[in-house]
Amino acid sequence: MSDEEHHFESKADAGASKTYPQQAGTIRKNGYIVIKGRPCKVVEVSTSKTGKHGHAKCHFVAIDIFTAKKLEDIVPSSHNCDVPHVNRTDYQLIDISEDGFVSLLTDSGDTKDDLRLPTDDSLLKQIKDGFAEGKDLVVSVMSAMGEEQICALKDIGPK
Amino acid sequence: MQGFSDGGADLGQLQTTMRNIEVACTSIQMHINPAAAEATILSLSQSPQPYTACRFILENSQVPNARFQAAAAIRDAAIREWSSLSTEERRSLISFCLCFVMQHASSPEGYVLAKVSSVAAQLMKRGWLDFTEAEKETFFYQVNQAILGAHGIDVQFIGVNFLESLVSEFSPSTSSAMGLPREFHEQCRTSLELNYLKMFYCWARDAALSVTNKIIEPNAVIPEVKVCTAALRLMLQILNWEFRNDTTSMKAGIDVFSAGVRHDNGSSKRSECVLVQPGPAWFDVLISSGHVSWLLGLYAALRQKFSREGYWIDCPIAVSARKLIVQLCSLTGTIFPSDNGKMQENHLLQLLSGILQWIDPPDVVSKAIEEGKSESEMLDGCRALLSIATATTPFVFDQLLKAIRPCGTLSLLSTLMCEVVKVLMTNNTDEETWSWEARDILLDTWTILLVPTDGSGGDALLPPEGKHAAANLFSMIVESELKVASASVTNDDGDSDYLQASISAMDERLSSYALIARAAIDVTIPLLTRLFSERFARLHQGRGIIDPTETLEELYSLLLITGHVLADEGEGETPLVPTAIQTHFADIAEAEKHPVVVLSGSIIRFAEQSMDPEVRATVFSPRLMEAVIWFLARWSHTYLMPLEETNCLSNDYQQHQSMNSKKALLSFFGEHNQGQVVLDIIVRISVMTLVSYPGEKDLQGLTCHHLLHTLVRRKTICYQLVSLESWRNLANAFTNEKSLFLLSSANQRSLAQTLVLSASGLRNSETANQYVKGLMAHMTTYLVELSNRSDLKSVAHQPDIIMSVSCLLERLRGAVSAAGPRRQRAMYEIGISVMNPVLHLLEVYKDESAVVYLLLKFIVDWVDGQISYLESRETAAVIDFCMRLLQLYSSHNIGKISISLSSTLLSEAKTEKYKDLRALLQLLSSLCSKDLVDFSSDSVEAAGINISQVVFFGLHIVTPLISLELLKYPKLCHDYFSLLSHILEVYPETLAQLNSEAFVHIIGTLDFGLHHQDLEVVDMCLGALKALAAYNYREICAGKTGLVSAGLGNLPEGIFSRFLRSLLQLLLFEDYSPDLVSAAADALLPLILCEQGLYQKLGNELIERQTNPALKSRLANALHSLTSSNHLSSRLDRVNYQRFRKNLNSFLVEVRGFLRTI
Repeated sequence: MSDEEHHFESKADAGASKTYPQQAGTIRKNGYIVIKGRPCKVVEVSTSKTGKHGHAKCHFVAIDIFTAKKLEDIVPSSHNCDVPHVNRTDYQLIDISEDGFVSLLTDSGDTKDDLRLPTDDSLLKQIKDGFAEGKDLVVSVMSAMGEEQICALKDIGPK
Repeated sequence: MQGFSDGGADLGQLQTTMRNIEVACTSIQMHINPAAAEATILSLSQSPQPYTACRFILENSQVPNARFQAAAAIRDAAIREWSSLSTEERRSLISFCLCFVMQHASSPEGYVLAKVSSVAAQLMKRGWLDFTEAEKETFFYQVNQAILGAHGIDVQFIGVNFLESLVSEFSPSTSSAMGLPREFHEQCRTSLELNYLKMFYCWARDAALSVTNKIIEPNAVIPEVKVCTAALRLMLQILNWEFRNDTTSMKAGIDVFSAGVRHDNGSSKRSECVLVQPGPAWFDVLISSGHVSWLLGLYAALRQKFSREGYWIDCPIAVSARKLIVQLCSLTGTIFPSDNGKMQENHLLQLLSGILQWIDPPDVVSKAIEEGKSESEMLDGCRALLSIATATTPFVFDQLLKAIRPCGTLSLLSTLMCEVVKVLMTNNTDEETWSWEARDILLDTWTILLVPTDGSGGDALLPPEGKHAAANLFSMIVESELKVASASVTNDDGDSDYLQASISAMDERLSSYALIARAAIDVTIPLLTRLFSERFARLHQGRGIIDPTETLEELYSLLLITGHVLADEGEGETPLVPTAIQTHFADIAEAEKHPVVVLSGSIIRFAEQSMDPEVRATVFSPRLMEAVIWFLARWSHTYLMPLEETNCLSNDYQQHQSMNSKKALLSFFGEHNQGQVVLDIIVRISVMTLVSYPGEKDLQGLTCHHLLHTLVRRKTICYQLVSLESWRNLANAFTNEKSLFLLSSANQRSLAQTLVLSASGLRNSETANQYVKGLMAHMTTYLVELSNRSDLKSVAHQPDIIMSVSCLLERLRGAVSAAGPRRQRAMYEIGISVMNPVLHLLEVYKDESAVVYLLLKFIVDWVDGQISYLESRETAAVIDFCMRLLQLYSSHNIGKISISLSSTLLSEAKTEKYKDLRALLQLLSSLCSKDLVDFSSDSVEAAGINISQVVFFGLHIVTPLISLELLKYPKLCHDYFSLLSHILEVYPETLAQLNSEAFVHIIGTLDFGLHHQDLEVVDMCLGALKALAAYNYREICAGKTGLVSAGLGNLPEGIFSRFLRSLLQLLLFEDYSPDLVSAAADALLPLILCEQGLYQKLGNELIERQTNPALKSRLANALHSLTSSNHLSSRLDRVNYQRFRKNLNSFLVEVRGFLRTI
């Protein structure tokens, strides 16, 4: 019994590990997966068999959560895949600097200044416009496998 | 506006118009500025009274397309302006079209003639109910003269052609829209059927007769063929008419036993083949006048000429003649006198002897086709057999041929199909060949012959010879299927080849096979047993030595076929043992020797071998296992502990020997016999597939959704299940074993549901609740502990934790969806215990959309299952929780913008949001239902809960999240509007309590919905509008303020005036389905009553805008009678609504035509 219960307990070094193994058959659409060393979000899963009387395999179509590149992979469904640990943290947006960096306020009251703005023009515009209008913006920062990026904006009212 | 109307048109003007249209037509063809050209053409058909111009173009233009467009313009303008044209104008338009086609009958541009002809037909139909009989006579005299051939072959052809357009215009399925109510089309249909159809048929027949002799002469092709083909086509079209007025046949239909001929109209299975039932009036035309022998003679003569120039098997006249012959085979009903079907049998025999040459002898025919002869004659022969089978009983069907041959029709059918199957076997390709089509038609024929018709399940009994034929055929079919199976192993197109897919694709075919097998069950069951044991032996001997794949694939096919032969699909009901199996095998006294028991036993023993890991690895591939599980599910649904067993035992004193064998079969797998042992085997196999086939989603899905689900659906089985050791092991594995956490989410859910459902086998609700609690305790504990962890925020996003949480939520969802009165307590407590954890998790996982959705769905399902049982105090707690959930969700999502470079991910995010919102709307709907269905002991009002306020408050939270953008998702849109219209209909008064922002939003969406494409959405919005306006009107009548004043002063205009405007706009000027008119009338009436002043003003504006004085007065009159005719009063009761619907309908018919073009 104790062995099975272990499954529910999280590992002691929580957060240290960047990826976790998980059986391919259990990875679903909208879940995360590592393909070719990149953290991705699964947008399509289909299963097929290797030969008529063979075993099932999963075909994943996924999108790199940072670069938006499309990646595909085929894995026997009883094998393990790596699943990235994706974290999201909310920060209040304090400032946008000229050199393309943002200044963010952490929960503990410190500032975090090492995050670049997105390079894509329309995304950049969304953030800059919102900031310029004087709205109180909270940004969600997504981090996985040592990379981080702004993934959402939320307007929590005028300043 | 550039117009082409005729007012004082002179020649120059007409020529200019013609040139404009010609230029436009040519430039469309050459793709030069098509938009402008289309506009020019459109302006012709939209200008008032363009008839002179159109006639001018038709008569003078050298450009055929321009003539075509001119004809189209006549049609559009005349249909639109019909009510304002004088009788004289109407008549002259039709006779112009008719004369035009007759005069130009030899013109090479057939499509222009066909168009003008169809315009004449449409106009004739438009005026059908207004014209006097004499007027119609005049037109038809002209047509008849043409068809008789008085003006030559071309005109004759044109005449037949016109009748074809006319008949298709009058037939409801092919009629064109005229903006008139359905009743109009219905009346036209009836009138044509009663008074003209038979006459047209005779004309067509006479036209064909008049040229028959010339065609039969041994000449090459002659122009008369064209006329004859058209006439045959028209006859076929008329026989395809859906005859309704054969009232006498309805009466005769009750008397099914009197004749050997079927009269059943209601058999829905007969989709392929429509019976032709024109009624007694047609006797002289179709039966007694030698019509059939003429037709057969004509075709026989054509056959002689096939080798010659101008004629071949697929030439139009041959095709039409064959089709008509096949159609005549379906003739039935009161056209035949009640003489025990003698007359019909003669009729069919006559046809059959003509058709016989097309299909007999089968081997010669099929060889000829394989060598390059066209297959269409043979296929038509098969279709004729299908038609004959549809019109007769199996017995009569078989006897028909015996009149002229030593063997019966069934034998012929069997030989024919064997031949087809042989061809299928030899050239096995994926392409659809003639043999595929022939097989499908012949299988349909068998199905129609063998499907029991009287609903009592009594099989159609075949004569011994017929049984023999069926047995032969079945063994041929199985041989061919096995061959196809083993051949398919090598062509590995595996991807699409799933069990479910292959079963549903083959299902119809398999059930036809089953019918054939059951017709000769004493032979076919032993055959199947033998085929199985051969393959089992082959597997054992060759284990490890030869590649078993071919044998596996054969077994796969055999399992599917046997499953269909032995048992029926339940389709939600409990299937019985097929009658053929119940009644046959009378001489078997010992159950162990009953062929069905032997067959089932051997398959189950084979399946049991999969428990051995070694055998499993070599023999039981996932695909074979899928077929095994599918078979076990289907088999156990019928044979395992059957319900009849008890009934059967109580009627112990049945003397019949057949009863003994039936009893033996039924009780063998009963609960007091082998039932428990078999059940145990099945459960152990199920657990094994879940544990030992990791990642095989399809197999596990079949086990969960199909097999286990089937087991727990029956109470008798549940009683046994809960006492089985193996079932307890499954429950234990479910709570503890890691491998079961790896099942896919849907399987996870289904397994939880199944386990909870099996609690219905427990004695009382106390033990049932205890059992459920024991099953679910580990999940609730885990969720509670997790949500209480101090480091929740940091660990929650680890993939393994996310997986466990999702898994447990799926299970909870599955469990609560199995709620039932007996287990309600346990379910309630489960939900209550995780309420706070759910809110915690929603907070933590706010960015993990998959988890959020699961949380919401769990709550939705839980509330849905619980709400009607809850006492008022509990309801209050649940409602409070739901509101907290809604607010939390809203606070996370309002004003949030996802940022991503990937458009796919952005649209995924939108879809996720849509699914969440849909779940929230479902939650509100469930809460709403508390007011309608409530099993609790006290009423909710006792606890001071007002459901309407709660739901409005909820809607208030949710609506800001629902943007018009999101309403483009059809399901969300549908849910939103059905909730909205429900709330507005039931609680209109609460709307006033909303703040103005929410109010404006709701009104905005209602306006959006009114202009939606989905009929149902518009319907719901109209319902909501009706409710609101009616409520307001009643309030005002009662001297209260109504909805307008309640805090809504900041609207620029009252909501009702706004909706009155937009509804009138919609009704008069926009496109909509005529089905909406009634609902629109119901909404319009109270709106008009609420805003009488505005309505007057709008009406006057409409009238003022009309420049034409004639139209002006028509509009004024129509508006006047809309509100005054039919004794319309200002009350809102049923009668008044009905009157207003009528008024609105006639109002729209009267004015919409000319209003829309202005």
